[in-house]
Amino acid sequence: MTGDILGIVVLVCLAYLLLTTFVYVALVVVGAIESTVRRQESRSEDYATLASSRFTIPVSVIAAAYDEEPVIVSTVETLLAFDYPEHEVIVVNDGSSDGTLERLREVYELEPYEVFVRRVFESADVRAIYRSAIHPNLIVVDKANGGKADAWNAGLNVARYRYVCGVDADTLFDPKALLKGMRLVVQDPGRVIGVTSHLNTAREPERAIAAPPGRRPIDFKPLIAFQHLDFVRAFFNNRIAWSRLRFMLCSPGAFQIWRRDVLEEVGGYSRSFTCEDIEVTFRIHERFLREGRDYEILCLTDNVATTEGPDTIRKLVSQRERWQRVINETVWHYRRMWFNPRYKAVGMLGAPFYLITEVLAPVFELFAIAALGLSLALGLFDPLTFAVMLVAIAFTNAALTASAVLFDDLQSRTYRKRDLARLLLLAPLDLVLYRPIIFWARVKGSWRFLCGDKAWHKFERNTREAPV
Amino acid sequence: MLRVAIFVLALALPAWIGLSLLVVLGRARYDRGQEVRVGDLRSHEAARLIQRGRGRPRTDWGRWRRVAALARLARAHHPAASQLLHPALADPDPRIASAAIRSLGDLGDGWAIDILISALRDGSAPRSRIAAQLERLAPVPGPRFVPLLRHPHPAVRFWAATLLGPYPELGRESLIALTWDSDPNVRAAAVETLGSRSGNAVGAATLARLDDPAWFVRVHAARAAGHVVGAEAAPSITPLLADRQWWVRTAAKDALRGMGSDAVPALLAVLGHPDAFARNGAAEVLQDVGFVDTLAFEQPSSPLLERIYEAGGERLREAAQSRAARHASRRTERAA
Repeated sequence: MTGDILGIVVLVCLAYLLLTTFVYVALVVVGAIESTVRRQESRSEDYATLASSRFTIPVSVIAAAYDEEPVIVSTVETLLAFDYPEHEVIVVNDGSSDGTLERLREVYELEPYEVFVRRVFESADVRAIYRSAIHPNLIVVDKANGGKADAWNAGLNVARYRYVCGVDADTLFDPKALLKGMRLVVQDPGRVIGVTSHLNTAREPERAIAAPPGRRPIDFKPLIAFQHLDFVRAFFNNRIAWSRLRFMLCSPGAFQIWRRDVLEEVGGYSRSFTCEDIEVTFRIHERFLREGRDYEILCLTDNVATTEGPDTIRKLVSQRERWQRVINETVWHYRRMWFNPRYKAVGMLGAPFYLITEVLAPVFELFAIAALGLSLALGLFDPLTFAVMLVAIAFTNAALTASAVLFDDLQSRTYRKRDLARLLLLAPLDLVLYRPIIFWARVKGSWRFLCGDKAWHKFERNTREAPV
Repeated sequence: MLRVAIFVLALALPAWIGLSLLVVLGRARYDRGQEVRVGDLRSHEAARLIQRGRGRPRTDWGRWRRVAALARLARAHHPAASQLLHPALADPDPRIASAAIRSLGDLGDGWAIDILISALRDGSAPRSRIAAQLERLAPVPGPRFVPLLRHPHPAVRFWAATLLGPYPELGRESLIALTWDSDPNVRAAAVETLGSRSGNAVGAATLARLDDPAWFVRVHAARAAGHVVGAEAAPSITPLLADRQWWVRTAAKDALRGMGSDAVPALLAVLGHPDAFARNGAAEVLQDVGFVDTLAFEQPSSPLLERIYEAGGERLREAAQSRAARHASRRTERAA
């Protein structure tokens, strides 16, 4: 009897595994087509004209900063250095408890000014608005703590331009990031309402971004290298494919361009979710599809930024459990879209994809581990079969990872050859060294979601060896 | 189950090895290719590119090969480039059309400019992209825009008016006439371009559009009047501080800010305006042009300063006092 039940559980879990693998392989194929097209498109793009033309649409860049004292100046420097005809940088200090504001005040010679802004988006009390005496396009908004969504809403109220680019204050950007992000918007601003692009992760982004293209080092501290692979896979195997299939459901907070009037229409970023980026993307899709409007939200292949990845297991679990929680919150909140043909690809593919591969994954993984463990202990499952299965899964994952690395390198040609080789060799180990951590974070996140926890646990900054 | 696992492994392992080799060898080949300098087109290569450029591929991959072929031929100034680029502008695929526009812009020859202008007129390719290239080619195409100001299609008049921005000596009378065009986009473009000119007639034309029914025309009119007429336009622009459109109020503030301290008398007259937006806007501009700081530092108890604080609110007062205190401490440091 126990054996039968365990057998059924193992079979169901295997069926789930086969289904998700099939879906991921299909997405890799779609992603490969999209990457190729976008790469060609990007190569034939006239960036020089775009960078100097007055017809390039101006953008307000909004960075929400909470306790970012060690990195804030590096981030603002990269934002001010954008190669773009007209942009303003709005840094929102979200009631930091450290010296973020003082650091900005000191470096950029901030002076308080009263600015009468549109109060279209709800946000916590704004204490003061500062302008820089040395950078006329830098504005700093100091406000009471209210979370990232609240900070972005405050920044949106101050934003002058028709397009806004929300960024994280712990992320460093490529000088051409905005230009690369806006190139398709400029062609069709009526339809392209949102854009995001490929991001990388590093232990110390300032070190990674300081290296010249083609020689950028990859941090081979195992946790960071596996996160690097995770990001590459997430973008090149998933998001790029979603973009082609028209269900780009997550514009990450580290770099997201939106048409301001669209955010205004949907009421800005929501403060009632643990995290705001994925929710706002779902909300915009829901609104536009419900109203039958023609639009596009795109994910591009250009590497635009490097964000800080946690360098300890504790910090990584804290970050990923939050991601899992927000995915669960959002997918559950928009459950009316699941398998609903009214929402086209988003309803029939995107939302179910999230449900099956993200929300339900920890449940299946938990059952699979328990059932396999018990089956092995009770002698119902042959250890050799188990071992071969494990190796097969590891190499299937590794093949998917290698495909993502291939398209990343074809696009960017950023990394050294030897680093690429090392990344590819690490790929089969992902299943045994990295996935268990992510599995634990997902279980924890799902549990906290069920408990109704909406706390935002910011991970501590990585300690720096020496300034760059 | 073991058989399934072995079957999956038999597929996955070679796939991983194959893809990994592709990454490393592909990269090595790319790095070598970077070191080799690209020379002129050889005849067999040109023939292959011409064939690709003529094709009508159905797949995305084929389309991009065509784009790359067109760009390569144009860069090499191959005689076939013009014959291929002209029809490519009218290609139903916007990516092909955009690539052709870019290649024509790269060439920049007289015939390339003619093709671009004819495409701007016909609307056979995205006009904003053509305009970006034509602007890049300044000053050669300038005189060819003037006849377009009288084109029957409003989009052509709009782009002609916009593109004349960097040519202050061209098309003045026609641009003034276009400020009365039936199409608000054309009026806005004409007013915007006139903002970079000078003269009484130009000033009068921009001032006349300050009460245009289209809000975006008022935006450009406010900015243009500020540039052309200067401080004399301030009394005409200040009513826009109470405009119902936020963008117009912002443009009015920008224009008044640009006049510096010359705008102060007109701004002081707005402090008693019944509309709170107008009072706030006037106080903000008075702060930005340095008038508030001067008063706060030199006459902190002046009744005029108090009126400005009343119009701008407590935060304006706090910000001004904080700046004044910093200014005083800096002066003391310098004196020491």
